[in-house]
Amino acid sequence: MDWQGQKLANILMQIILVVSTITAFGIGYSIGSFQMMMFTYAGGVVLTALITVPNWQFFNHHHLKWLDPSEAERHPMPQLNDAAVAAPKKKATKIK
Amino acid sequence: MHSFAYRLNTLLTFSLLLLAVLCGAASFLDAFNSPLSASSSHVQASAQVLKVNRFRRQLNGADEVSLTFNVSLDVQPLFTWNTKQVFVFLAAEYETPKNALNQISLWDHIILDKDQAKFQTKVTTKYPLIDQGSNLRGRKVDLILHWHVMPKTGRMIRDKLHLSDFHLPEAYT
Repeated sequence: MDWQGQKLANILMQIILVVSTITAFGIGYSIGSFQMMMFTYAGGVVLTALITVPNWQFFNHHHLKWLDPSEAERHPMPQLNDAAVAAPKKKATKIK
Repeated sequence: MHSFAYRLNTLLTFSLLLLAVLCGAASFLDAFNSPLSASSSHVQASAQVLKVNRFRRQLNGADEVSLTFNVSLDVQPLFTWNTKQVFVFLAAEYETPKNALNQISLWDHIILDKDQAKFQTKVTTKYPLIDQGSNLRGRKVDLILHWHVMPKTGRMIRDKLHLSDFHLPEAYT
């Protein structure tokens, strides 16, 4: 998932679970059945699991922007040769 | 939220927390009102001693009584959506010079359903009335009905009701 997808998954999970809790309590209390309350809540949890846990496509609409290859070529990684290994290691320069 | 296992873990933890909240709410509201009680009626019960089957003194000096009594009870008002079972027992209470209060359970019963909660039976004491000593001749004994309401979630509610009293015979039978 990309960043927006993760945020969406998080919000969806919290909202659907809280709504299931409230619905389950309402149904159970009004019809006077403890078992129905538990079944409704379990159904809500399974629904949330189906929606938010797998990596669906709608969580990947805002693709992550990786570094452009041409930009990467302008700042090559330092090459390691025998002379550099024998000498003490230098700190790599920061790419701004 | 960037891996399957992470999301699954978050889901399970949060749903378990909400389950605890749900059970807490069910238990909390249960103490105040019940959606099933049409008329707020109280528990009704009565018990009469029919006869004293046996009244003797055991070898170790303790009195022992066995009774037959008629008990009718209606504990239907105690049942709510959050009730798992109701445990009722009939206790004999009396006072002796040695102990200020003696309570002995004579008979108990487990009620699982609201339909089974209203009945009357003629029954003998399941557990004999045995005294610590021999103070029962001519003693006045109160019959008290106790009940424990055990919920599906939450705390147990205990209460009692005084039914009647009777006198034991002056001599052993």
